[in-house]
Amino acid sequence: MAIALPRVFRTTPFRLTLLFLTVFAASASIFLGYIYAATAGEVTSRADQAITQEIQSLTGVYRQGGIKALNRSMVERTAGDRPFLYLLRDKTGQKITGTLEASPVKGFTGTPSGVNFKVTDTDPDGAETRHSARGQQVQLVGGETLFVGADVSGAESFVLRILRAIWGAGTLVILLGLAGGILISRNVNETMAGLNRVVIAVRGGDIAARAKLRGVNDEFDELASGLNDMLDRLERSMGGLRHVGDSIAHDLRSPLSRLRARLELALIEAEAGKGNAQTALVQALEDAEGVLSTFNAVLAIARLQSAVEAPDQVRFDPGDLAAGVAELYEPLCEDKAIEFKLEATPTLAVRGNREFIAQALANILDNAVKYTPQGGAVRLRVRRRASGEVEFSVTDTGPGVPQLDRPRVVQRFVRLENSRSQPGAGLGLSLVAAVAEAHGGRLELDEGPGILNGSGPGLRVALVLPRLG
Amino acid sequence: MRILIVEDDVEAAGAMARGLSEAGIETVHAADGVLGLAAAQAGGFHVLVVDRMMPNMDGLTLVETLRREGDQTPVLFLSALGEIDDRVAGLKAGGDDYLVKPYAFAELSARVEALARRRETGSVQTMIKVGDLEMDLIGRMVHRQGKEIDLQPREFQLLEYLMRHAGQSVTRAMLLEKVWEYHFDPQTNVIDVHISRLRGKIDKGFDHPMLQTVRGAGYRLEA
Repeated sequence: MAIALPRVFRTTPFRLTLLFLTVFAASASIFLGYIYAATAGEVTSRADQAITQEIQSLTGVYRQGGIKALNRSMVERTAGDRPFLYLLRDKTGQKITGTLEASPVKGFTGTPSGVNFKVTDTDPDGAETRHSARGQQVQLVGGETLFVGADVSGAESFVLRILRAIWGAGTLVILLGLAGGILISRNVNETMAGLNRVVIAVRGGDIAARAKLRGVNDEFDELASGLNDMLDRLERSMGGLRHVGDSIAHDLRSPLSRLRARLELALIEAEAGKGNAQTALVQALEDAEGVLSTFNAVLAIARLQSAVEAPDQVRFDPGDLAAGVAELYEPLCEDKAIEFKLEATPTLAVRGNREFIAQALANILDNAVKYTPQGGAVRLRVRRRASGEVEFSVTDTGPGVPQLDRPRVVQRFVRLENSRSQPGAGLGLSLVAAVAEAHGGRLELDEGPGILNGSGPGLRVALVLPRLG
Repeated sequence: MRILIVEDDVEAAGAMARGLSEAGIETVHAADGVLGLAAAQAGGFHVLVVDRMMPNMDGLTLVETLRREGDQTPVLFLSALGEIDDRVAGLKAGGDDYLVKPYAFAELSARVEALARRRETGSVQTMIKVGDLEMDLIGRMVHRQGKEIDLQPREFQLLEYLMRHAGQSVTRAMLLEKVWEYHFDPQTNVIDVHISRLRGKIDKGFDHPMLQTVRGAGYRLEA
């Protein structure tokens, strides 16, 4: 049968507290028992020792002075403040002297033996109290019996006091432990409930829910900040996905509308028997091509942005890669009478996705050639920086990009006023930036070399990849 | 030429068949992977055009099965998955070429023709001859009408590819992939510039131009 305990009693900390208290109580009992046994034994053996000494002292008196001297000494001792009980009897068992009336030793055979007994004390008011006592009896050579006892009630009550104190302390410890256990489990319970609330909220769709940190840097704070960190990442990547969806919708809607309008118009004109259907179809096809290439570029950028890092990374020589891309663009420069130069430090090494980096480099070169007027110069340089990073930099002598606009041209679809006459969707540098980021690197835009042949100041675009290892 | 189209989108397959028949290619359509495998096993095709994602059996499994059985018919994968690793997976499964949807008919038919032709020239060549143009693959030399033509290494590769596919349309994307080994789409048509350079070397000064531009498709080297 299940018993419905209050929640606090079912928590792990409370159970652990109970377990701990049980172990504590058991070990404390063993410890206390040992102390009691040792203390009680000590008290008894001290009393026995004192009694033995007194008997020795008395038998010494008897040996030297006979029964008379013993009698005298015992009378003196009884009158003094010695804490002993005495009884001296003759051969027949008649009391000669002493504080006791009868011997507590029953069936005495002559061998010395110890005994526990009770004495009744009568105080001046007539009230009687019974005390615990211990005693020993010996037979003297003349046949007399000597009994010496001692009141041990004081020692016994001392042991009892210790025991009571220990019991009291133990009970207090257990009660405090229980109270502490309840407090701790409440505390832990509240913290866990806080974390639980976050989990429930997130499960319910509130990705923005976060756990509160208590600021004490314990394992709960660690768990909470781990949870928050995980949620942050999740939220970012979800945001990234939403952003991809939004931007694809935004970026494709207008060219698709244009395409639709063109086709609709062509149909109307064809039905009316005017216009040139073939021309309209060629234009529509071109529009569709444009939509597709924009779509592919946006998708590629979005994938790179949402990936933790670029896929299929290998170690390669950046100079070789640059030479390959440069070779692709060299004839284009020559046709435009642009002086092209490749300067690459040999035997460098970087890690990355060759295809993406080649495409990024092609985009940078494409822009440089596009914006550099006839007679200008484009230089592609590959070198290692002092920091160990490897940079691919392309310098041109085109109009450049004003400093204020530089952060903007990296954004998707941003095209500056003077570039509207050039073909392109404005995605080139965004892709380069996405490639750089997916490799843990960055894209830098700077001023070019200055005015050359009446054009300038030019632009310097650098794709910087992190150092190896 | 007879090709098998394995594509679950019936409308797309129909359009493809119409487009290819314009180029004089006969097509057979299979609507899913299992039917496609059965048709391919029956044989008699020059090229298989296989969609990657289909019900019952996907394209990768189909091609892997064929290759295990020793069937070496060239395969062109069609896919909406265009990432580098998707393409690598397709080629690893035994595909010979990979085309991302949507594509132009000109691109598809040029690639199908290239694959079909590749099969015919199985033996190792040391010399390629197209009309009066001769390429010595061992000595890395090119002559036209007995006159030596000096080519840069990349121009040599470009011409070699065009000569191996003489008489066929070759698209810019094909050239970029096969000659430069890049799979991206450059913003400016850099290939055109390389072609016009090559044209200047092999056609300039000769009365008959060999390297021709095919409108809407790419280029063709004619004897």
